[in-house]
Formats: sequence, structure tokens, C-alpha cells
Amino acid sequence: MRSSPVTQALVVFRKELMDWSRDRRSIMTVLASSLLAPVIIGVMFTQLASRQRQVEDVTIPVVGAANAPAMIDWLKQQSGVEVVDGPADPQEAVRTRREDVVVIIPEDFTKNFKASKPAQIRLVNDSSSQNARPKVQRIRGLLQRYSSEIGSLRLIARGVSPIVASPMQIEDVEVSSAQQRAAQILGFIPLFVMIAAFTGAMSIATDSTAGERERGSIEALLVNPAPREAIAGGKWLAGTATAMLGVLVTGSLLFALFKYIPLQDLGIRFRLGPEQLIRTLITVLPLCPLIVAIQMYVATFAKSFKEAQSYLSFLMMAQMIPGMMATMNSMPSKAWMYYVPWIGQQTLLTDVLGNKPINPLVFVVVGVVNVTLAVTMLRATSGLLHRERIIFGR
Amino acid sequence: MISVTDLRKHFGEVRAVDGVTFTAADGQVTGLLGPNGAGKTTTLRMLYTLMRPDGGQILVDGIDPVVDPQGARFALGVLPDQSGLYPRLTAREHIEYFGELQGITGADLRSRTDHLLTMLDMTAIADRRVAGFSHGERTKTALARAIVHNPKNVLLDEPTNGLDVMSTRAVREIIRRLKSEGHTVLFSSHVMQEVSALCDTIVVIARGRIVGSGTSDDLRRQTGQDNLEDAFVTLSGLEADLSTVALSAKVEAHRS
Repeated sequence: MRSSPVTQALVVFRKELMDWSRDRRSIMTVLASSLLAPVIIGVMFTQLASRQRQVEDVTIPVVGAANAPAMIDWLKQQSGVEVVDGPADPQEAVRTRREDVVVIIPEDFTKNFKASKPAQIRLVNDSSSQNARPKVQRIRGLLQRYSSEIGSLRLIARGVSPIVASPMQIEDVEVSSAQQRAAQILGFIPLFVMIAAFTGAMSIATDSTAGERERGSIEALLVNPAPREAIAGGKWLAGTATAMLGVLVTGSLLFALFKYIPLQDLGIRFRLGPEQLIRTLITVLPLCPLIVAIQMYVATFAKSFKEAQSYLSFLMMAQMIPGMMATMNSMPSKAWMYYVPWIGQQTLLTDVLGNKPINPLVFVVVGVVNVTLAVTMLRATSGLLHRERIIFGR
Repeated sequence: MISVTDLRKHFGEVRAVDGVTFTAADGQVTGLLGPNGAGKTTTLRMLYTLMRPDGGQILVDGIDPVVDPQGARFALGVLPDQSGLYPRLTAREHIEYFGELQGITGADLRSRTDHLLTMLDMTAIADRRVAGFSHGERTKTALARAIVHNPKNVLLDEPTNGLDVMSTRAVREIIRRLKSEGHTVLFSSHVMQEVSALCDTIVVIARGRIVGSGTSDDLRRQTGQDNLEDAFVTLSGLEADLSTVALSAKVEAHRS
């Protein structure tokens, strides 16, 4: 009639999962935290992409287009450019932000142009408007290009090489390019995946340790002829399962998301294909058992859910520190960093998402290190369950 | 059969259990009677393996729970002081969970569960989640899961505390049935009527010591009181190191 500790652990595992699956709040927590990453990343990218497109596809309101038909024709030939009639009162329209920018071509434009005098053109814009700035720059750039093309033609007509008129060449090196920003956003992925693992584990870890004490069910449970290791082990397995569920949901959602995000438009060579997804999971999943084991150990000291939750939210902040540091100032990855939990996952994931070649042995060692630490923590938790102060102390 | 010899447990300076000795025989109901804080719960906790005695010996069917806690747990069915339930599980799932932890499975588990549910008159609520249960229904659920493995020895810590008449009756019925099936039943209570109605042997405990034991007739005779309640008051008010008879004589003298 006596059953093995493994069977007993599986009995506990099944009960904990059943209990968990009936708790709507804990399921919502897992789903919400899994959605966090895809939603935030999706929104950020869509914004970035649309801003980028806005700049390239530009509509230029022009007042007095008839005064410079040749230039208007040239503008219309440029890709993504559309010329429309400008508003009656350009200044007012820009001031009230109805238009980002209006180009005014004065009546004497053609007269001056033909006389090879500087023909004036007005760019009505509001320099305090952040949103309009890229568009203004784009239009200014177009006009300057037209101007220098004409200038070159005039020089050629006079038998002078246009190069003479360009003693210098200025090249813009944009540091906060869209690509760079996109890379920054992608840097958050490891952080989000680990948050999903943490929150996924939380409800079972607290409910099955601090919860047993708060409900007063721990005495009855421990009177059963199941060793403490089997009871703690079953709860640990259940917590690991829900943590992994959180990671899987987040991973799949990100995978689905990157099928729809127009990363190419941003000029990013980033792929979250099946291969990257599998590597991401191989990296993060071994962390789940460790997260659960630590949470259980901490929650066993707490007398109530609330106490446990406040301890755990503190832990959550702590686990985010390596990720934050890595995102803020990109540290060069050193060999030891791979084998430290959390830092290792962060470093590995950065490599995985950056498509760097990784020695498969690293995955194995990282997995072994994490699971070993998890088992050690689990033993410590089982030890706590022998203490009278833990069982009865309230 | 449970035998306890010179059992001791202290918490810091407080001697919660201070040399308790008694025996609970098979096929008998033994009541551990004492006022609140007398050491009943601490004694039971040591019996059901969750507390380690500081001194003395316990034998549960010849097994020492300190040496072989696992073995003792197989021989024990326990309704602890705190017997909280899992609000999202049904009554049936509670019984089955504990049955499976005891190693009972399949058809055997189902028939035991059904049997307990019928015996405790719980068939109507068997598949409801316990979150909405009354106090009586909770106690019955906790009791059922405690004895699903048909243990030889049953320990009940204040089983009828806070129960209404009908639930109290159901619990008493279970205790009588367990007795008739030859189990050793040891339960604690501070309610006189309960103990006198059910017990073959009453062990009176006060301030961590046994101050009297025997049938209710024995106790009345020992104290010279006409009813058990007076006997209980006399016994639990006694200085433990004085002989019961001597002091009851003093009380008599004082009254007259």
C-alpha cells in the first residue's frame, strides 16, 4: 500500500495544478504577464515604423505651385513625395498645427530663377514641434538637393566642374537611428521573458507554502506519510510547469508578433524564426525550476499570502537588475557571465537574438547549473518543513 | 494502541507538557480532558509526529514516532488543531488527495471515498467546492480525509469545537463506529459532556501534567465529587505535586 516518494510527489503535483487551474486570478496573472512583452514591443515597433514611414512618404503643401512648375515636377518625380495645394493662410495653419510645414513659392521666383539670382522660397515651420521636425528636415533636404542639382547644371553650362563648388562634404552619422532604437527595444525581450517566468511561478509558490500556513492546512498535509521532499517536490514541479507555461506563451506570442512587424522597413536584420524561438526557450526554461525553488524557500518563511507576495515582489526587482544593467550599458560578455543564473540567461539571450554562434555545450552547462541550484534550494525548503517554528509559528 | 511515558516539551521557560503518562487502548475511546492551555494540543502534536518531544517516550502500535515518523504516520489518522481545507477543491477531491498520499488508488480509493461520504452523510455536497461549506461540513471533510486509509489509531484535536448539534452528533457517531471497529480513538476536549458521553477512559490534564485518569466513576470517586464537572474543576485546580485525594479532602474541609 505504501507508495514511493516519486508517486507521492506526482500526487501533490497533480493536486496543485488542479487547484491552480481553478484559480481564475492566477491564470489571468500568467496571461497578463505573458502579454506584457508582445504588447509593449509591438506598440513600440509599430510607432517606430510608422514614424519612419511618415518621413519617407511625405506630402508637401505648396502655396504658389504655379510659380515654379519645373521644381514641382521634379518634386513629384521623387519617390514617396506628393504635392498638394497649401492652405490659404500658411502661417496660421502651421501655428495651429493643422499643417506640419508649408512651402511658399513667391511670384517673383521664376523671374529671379531665370536671371540666375537666388530665387527665394519660404518654408513655414514651427521649430518647437517635435513631431514635425523629421518632415521639415526631409522637405528641406529635397529642396536643397534640387537647388544644388540646378547649381551643378549651371556650372556645367559654364564649363566648370560642379565638384569645384563643393569644397567639403558633410556626412551625417546618426546615432539614435531607428535601427539603434529598434535594437534597444529588442534588448528588453530577455527581461520580459524572465518576468513571465517569475510571475508564472508566483501563485503556486506562494499558495503552496505560505498559503498552506495561512489556511491552516499544513498540519494535516504533513501528517501524511509522504516525506517532506515529496511534498515540496510536487509543489515545485507544479510551480515549474506554470512558470514554463508563462515563458512558452510569451515566446509564442513574440514569435507570432515578429511575423507581422515590418522589421525590414526599419532596416533591421533581426529574425525571430523557429530556430531563435527554440534557442530562447532552451535558454530560459532551465531558469524556471530555480525561480520556483527560490520563491518557495522565501515564501515558506512568510506567514500569509500577502507577506509572501511582498517578499517576492522584492525578489522580482532584484532579478531584473542584471537585465536592466545589460540593457542600459551594454557590458562586454565575459565567459563567467554565462554560468551565473539570470546574468547567464541575459547574456545568452542577447547572443541568441543577435544571431551569434553559440557552442551548444554552453546551453547544457547553463541548464545543469540552474537545475542543480534549484535542487539545492528545494532541499533547503524541505528542511524548513521539519522545523516546528515553520509548521506552527503564526 | 498508544502509550505515552513521561512525555515532556517546553517552549523556552514554559513547560507546556511536563511528564505526561497515559495509555489509550485498542477498541476504546480515550478522552484528553483539560482547560485551554493545559497542554492537550502540544501532547497530540508530539503524538502525530509534527513536534519532537524534549523527553519521555511515545509508542504508537509499538512504533516510536521520533525514531520512525513515517511508520507512525501510516498507523495514525489525525484531525489536527488547524485542519484547513483547500477552498477550490471539492470534498471528494480532499478525501482522494489524502488517500493517494497514503498510497491508495483506483477502485479501492473510490469505494473508500464513497463509503466515507455516505457514512458522514455528505453525498449531497461531495462534489461541491469546500469554499462555501459550513463549519460542520468542513470538519466532516477534514475528518473523512484523515481516516481514508482506515488507520488503527485516530487522534482528534477538539473535533466538535464550534459545531452545531447535528454535526456534533455525526462526529460522535463516527467516534463510536471507530471504537466498535476496534480502533484506538484519542480525542481532546474541554467539554465535559462530550467526554463523559463518549469516553471509556478519561485523562485529565492541567498545566502540562496528568492530574487524574480513569472512567468517569473513578474520577468522581477519586475527588469525592458527585458529578464529573465538579471532579474536573477539583482536579484541574489541584497542585500537581500534591496527591489528588489529599487535596480533595482539603477542599471538602474548606467547604464545610
